[in-house]
Amino acid sequence: MTDYKRAKWAQWADHVRSLDDPAKNYDKPEALDDLVVIDVSSRSMAGCYCSSLLAELGAETIRIEPPGGDIVRTYSPQGIQQKGTGFAYLQEGRNKFHVTLDLETEEGREIFRQLAGNADVIVETFPAGKMDAWGIGYDALSKANPRLIFTSISFLGQFGPDSGRGQYDYDNVSQARSGIQYGTGEVLPEGKTADEMPWAVPTKAGPWIAWSVSGTFAALGILAALHHREETGEGQAIDVSTPEAYQRLHDYALHWYADQGVVQERFSNLDTALWLYGFFPTKDGGVFLGGLRLEMWKAFVDILGKWDEWEADSWTTLAPFMKKDWQLKYQAMINPLTSRFTSEELTRKSIEYARSGRLAPITPVVAEIVSPWKTMHDENWGDRGIFTPVQDPFFGSVVCAQAQWKATETPPRTKWVCRPAGHDNDFIYLRYLGYGPVRLAELKEKGVI
Amino acid sequence: MPEVFKDYVREKFSRPGPLRGVRVLEVCTLLFGPSGPSFLAEMGAEVIKIELPPAGDVTRSLNPFGWLYREQGPMFMHINPNKYYMALDLHIDIAQQIFKELCVKADIVEFNLRPAVTNRWNVGYEDIRKVNPQIIYIEKNGFGQWGRYAEEDRPSNDGAAQALSGYAWMSSFPGQPPLKQSIWICDYYGGLMGEVAVLAALHHRRKTGKGQYIEMSQSENIMRTMGWIWPYQQFTGKGAEPTGNRDQCICPADTFLCRDNRFVALAAPAPDEFKGLCTAMGKPELASDPRFRDHATRLKDENAMALLKTIADWARTKTADEIEELSVRNGFSASRLHNGKDMLENPHRRERDFVKYLDDPLYGRYAEHCFPVMMSKTPPKIKWTVRPVGFDNDYIMTKILGRSRSQLDELYMHGVLGRWKDMQGRRPPKEWDGKTGAILRG
Repeated sequence: MTDYKRAKWAQWADHVRSLDDPAKNYDKPEALDDLVVIDVSSRSMAGCYCSSLLAELGAETIRIEPPGGDIVRTYSPQGIQQKGTGFAYLQEGRNKFHVTLDLETEEGREIFRQLAGNADVIVETFPAGKMDAWGIGYDALSKANPRLIFTSISFLGQFGPDSGRGQYDYDNVSQARSGIQYGTGEVLPEGKTADEMPWAVPTKAGPWIAWSVSGTFAALGILAALHHREETGEGQAIDVSTPEAYQRLHDYALHWYADQGVVQERFSNLDTALWLYGFFPTKDGGVFLGGLRLEMWKAFVDILGKWDEWEADSWTTLAPFMKKDWQLKYQAMINPLTSRFTSEELTRKSIEYARSGRLAPITPVVAEIVSPWKTMHDENWGDRGIFTPVQDPFFGSVVCAQAQWKATETPPRTKWVCRPAGHDNDFIYLRYLGYGPVRLAELKEKGVI
Repeated sequence: MPEVFKDYVREKFSRPGPLRGVRVLEVCTLLFGPSGPSFLAEMGAEVIKIELPPAGDVTRSLNPFGWLYREQGPMFMHINPNKYYMALDLHIDIAQQIFKELCVKADIVEFNLRPAVTNRWNVGYEDIRKVNPQIIYIEKNGFGQWGRYAEEDRPSNDGAAQALSGYAWMSSFPGQPPLKQSIWICDYYGGLMGEVAVLAALHHRRKTGKGQYIEMSQSENIMRTMGWIWPYQQFTGKGAEPTGNRDQCICPADTFLCRDNRFVALAAPAPDEFKGLCTAMGKPELASDPRFRDHATRLKDENAMALLKTIADWARTKTADEIEELSVRNGFSASRLHNGKDMLENPHRRERDFVKYLDDPLYGRYAEHCFPVMMSKTPPKIKWTVRPVGFDNDYIMTKILGRSRSQLDELYMHGVLGRWKDMQGRRPPKEWDGKTGAILRG
């Protein structure tokens, strides 16, 4: 790490780091190491993401795929695979044991039922009704294992008028149905068509955010259900619908329509509800600028050298700046000014202003809009353990985003990244069901595993 | 429908949420901080939101294009349901002492201040664990408590995290500038992940009696969701680049413009789904075209582009609703793009009680989302919305700390406890009758 000027409170920083540096994660206990999780998700990465979060916390996680592997193993740009596994699954196979089982067969379902008797948590992502039709839904499994926390993540939920549509859950479709994609994207200028400007359309987020959100909500529900179970002994069924989960992170659009009949439309790189809050051009790219308090906005104007000219002294409230016409007016005034600087220069100006500006320590937020390549090579994140490669016995050294939070006692950690489909059949079937080589060979012969 | 969800909505209020009995103190403003404790409150935890009097949380001022609801910032309402509202001036030592007394009786404490500020206020982790070693203490901010960016004291917020993580870069069209999300995804997502950390810590505490300190950066959180991008860059030596609405890991999966000028998103990677889509398009032969024969082959850029072009041309001949209907009939996934109107009016959301009208003593009837995790035995629920600054002071101080009326008066007099400023979003709405909703007020 290159040198930087230590903060006045560096002692605190060092103290916290001595307690929670991810480099020490492997010396610490694991919060969920008393749990057995079965992830039988299909086609959807929401389930895999959910079980990854639990596996990062130490849960013994058994990932069940159909013989030959779940299709998620093929999810990868250009279809590129690493030893038979795409890049997406290479991230979300972490810390799991991988077994195969054909649930289309009676014998496979019987084996599943027996495994489920050993589990604390099940995660599944089939269309609603599929597990029940197979006789291995919550109603059936909970009779033998009332402590079971049975988690379904699906496109349209376990009940409700559209629930029976039988469709699998895909991130892009769920983003579309959440209501969020509709209001995100470049504004199509009047008189232009989407054919002329095919990028000025409702735009989804690039990463699989709907899946990640529903997977994380499911994990949160599981942990809350675990709390209830430890208090009462009672398990339960959990139902998460991905578009709803993602929609819950939307804010005022529902209320706005219900109260005012206003449908929130796209507003490009400005923010319908915030000022100063947007992406602005620089000499070498762009920056995010943020200042949600009047003083922060004034500080930014000061940095631009426009304090007097724009009469910042006379501003007493941010309220008028949130209006659409003011936003557009000031955007047009700011753009040419920020374009004179590089992103790095503007960032430094903001840090400097916090020390010596007229409103210091108040300063606007300035952040360069970077590529993920630059993110991955930014020393700050490296130092904080985000991209520490995992040394995997099968896939070698693999960069995984990890250490998403730091903790003194039970931090999340990644111990291995993935396994080929069915790699752990021997171990898991022996450990839980006592199947030795003869029985396994028999099942393999029949195509059940 | 599984038996267990049969009467879910009707019986929702007949059972408590899963976190009944858990007490949370929140000293948070804006979105990243308060969003997490709200999730706990919706799951039945008792959440006490502590604001600095008299102006409180900045979010009370925020609004889309000047629209306020009964003088209140709609985002503030949406982000802070089910909480108790206390205003305690933590700059004052007596307030810090009261805060510690509350910590003794709390399970979880949440802050979102700049690094080292809690320490300066004498309510840092080391101070609190002295009075309650079992406390679960989380601090959330832009860059954590250590490292270069933290020590440079950089301010941060959602947009900065979108920018610095590469998330915005990946959420745009090729050749176009990076695009900001219309929602504050890094705030909300960070808030959500924070509670995963907290509830895992709660489980650990049950087993061992040990509390802990958790530290979280919103940029680092969102990077965790960007899965394939990192090993892709490592193994190919190339930077990941955006592909607009096309999912570059799944094919076909994209958004299409339809005949009625609406948009539809569809996905059909599995063999049965792809076949269904080809049938729906009236081109069953495509399913056996060597360029499209299996998913990995279809993902190659030239094949993907050819296929998506075919689908785009077909989509222009149908309405978005027709395509959605065809997807149900032919077994692939599709949805017309929903918007605010659908959020409110779509019967599916309403019948699941995901969208409902609240009946709030101060703010009346208004439409709100519920918690998106349906739990058969312990249904989470939304019950009330926000309160003026310091509205529940008396209730908290009396019920939890047993303070008398005269003690409270003194604390008010010294500005330790405070009440709302006479200002939009801080004071009660004009429609309020001066008593409905107030608890333990003389």
